[in-house]
Amino acid sequence: MLLRCRIPLAHFELDIDVSFDSRLASIFGPSGSGKTTLLDAIAGLRDITAGEIEIDGSTLFSSARGINRPPRERGIGYVPQEGALFPHLSVRKNILFGAGRSADISRSKSISVGHVLSVLEIGSLLDRPVTKLSGGEAQRVALARAILSQPRLLLLDEPLASLDIGLKEKILPYLARVRDEFKIPMIYVTHNLTEVLTLADWVLMIRQGRLVTQGVPKEALRSMRAIMQLPEDEFENVFTVTFVESDPEAGRTKVRLQAGQELFIPYLPRPGNDTIQIRISADDILVAIKRPEGISAGNVLPGTVRRIDVVDGQAMVTVAAGDEFYARLTVSAVKRLDLVEETPVFLIMKTRSLRSL
Amino acid sequence: MILSFETWQITIFSLSVGLASTLLILPFGIATAWLFARKEWPLKSVLETIVLLPLVMPPVSTGLILLKIFGRRNPVGQWLYERGVEIVFNWKGVLIAMAVMSFPLLVRSVRTSFSEVNPRFEQIAATLGASSLRIFFVITIPLAYKGIIAGALLAFSRALGEFGATILLAGNIPGKTQTLSLAIYSFVQLGKDSDAYSLLGITVALAFLFVWCSEWLLRSAKKA
Repeated sequence: MLLRCRIPLAHFELDIDVSFDSRLASIFGPSGSGKTTLLDAIAGLRDITAGEIEIDGSTLFSSARGINRPPRERGIGYVPQEGALFPHLSVRKNILFGAGRSADISRSKSISVGHVLSVLEIGSLLDRPVTKLSGGEAQRVALARAILSQPRLLLLDEPLASLDIGLKEKILPYLARVRDEFKIPMIYVTHNLTEVLTLADWVLMIRQGRLVTQGVPKEALRSMRAIMQLPEDEFENVFTVTFVESDPEAGRTKVRLQAGQELFIPYLPRPGNDTIQIRISADDILVAIKRPEGISAGNVLPGTVRRIDVVDGQAMVTVAAGDEFYARLTVSAVKRLDLVEETPVFLIMKTRSLRSL
Repeated sequence: MILSFETWQITIFSLSVGLASTLLILPFGIATAWLFARKEWPLKSVLETIVLLPLVMPPVSTGLILLKIFGRRNPVGQWLYERGVEIVFNWKGVLIAMAVMSFPLLVRSVRTSFSEVNPRFEQIAATLGASSLRIFFVITIPLAYKGIIAGALLAFSRALGEFGATILLAGNIPGKTQTLSLAIYSFVQLGKDSDAYSLLGITVALAFLFVWCSEWLLRSAKKA
């Protein structure tokens, strides 16, 4: 996928020049950084001053060659932030609105209605007016509508932004299923780091219309420039783990990190899929230089400090303990413990501060 | 209130020609309103002003312009006359006068309702592969239909009230071009007060009904 475009905006110019190949790329950046504009440009809903957009080897836009294919010929499914379900049509008619598009512009094998309904679990909503849907339902219906237009690329604009936290965690797994079931490349816009780490295999970080950094999420986020723009409460560690066993009496569940270490998380009934994702805020990890004893925290992992980045009196300590963990400490704590690269440490995590997605 | 055969005839004639004029301008009005609401072009405001002119110009002046255009001695009128169509001093003149006078009201009302349709719906429909025509008929029109009906009702009421342009273009010929408004004027002139009051009652009732319906539609469209 090649995206090269310049678009004048009110206060700055969006100027992006990237080329990447991923299943789910996330465009990450603060509000007002030009993310929605970029999606609109890809979908053909916005004029581009100069540039080129190429997907799957087919050119959708090229100022040099005078190509500008209209939105309806681009084969791009777009789920805008507000969902934009057609308010006068039923769920069924919304979902089937784009289903008549011939599959040949995009894919050889078309996606069936039944498959989409079952993956998104919206079969029971078909005859409802869209005005009677909850926020989460409306997002799934908008997603189904876009997928059934058999797109070659799916654009999602902060699909979770308007939902409250409880609902977010319910929708996230649907997005992961859509990514895995339908094999449609996706571009996912968000300003939420957890969503990036959970879903994306590539991240483009933009700010004020410019690309700050890009790469595999964990690595891109490690880059200092990236960390500096993260809002206070958003720096979370996200891990994919395997379910080991659950003990309702003890109120905890044992899971295993990819590197083999075991962790306790709050009790969780055995999930249908043994792979789950867990997260913990960088502010909730304690660092000790001796193995602690007599503490309530259920998880103590030995590891080694890999790097320490200091920004504004905050130190982001990267610790390799099988997987890499980020712990945010004060500079004073780093000095007291005399932490430097290669210092052996212990990471302490309360069971209850680890949450599953 | 018992209506004479004559007042009945006048009422039915007015309603029929008014309805025909509304139906005639509806497609053009919707198209014009859509262009004004969704498209930009150089000197657009000049065209917008021209369309609105009949709303503010003295109706008699508009009537005079129409008479100049459709009179037999002018190119358009002559061309039509040679094809057997005569506009001046018959019901077709009434139709044209009503149509021209009510067109701006229709356009204004429909334009507002198009502007209130979020363009995002149309954009998303386009990404789903819909043609412009399909977007217009399946998304835009259904989302704006209340405003369109309200506009048509307003245009219809305006058509029924038409006087100045009609009297110049079609005359005031009893049984041929006499509408409600023209008849009230004639009856008062001739001292036939009871007939004039009957027609007055009818016009007030119709006007009330149409404006009330149209306001109700616009209010419920805003709520939706």
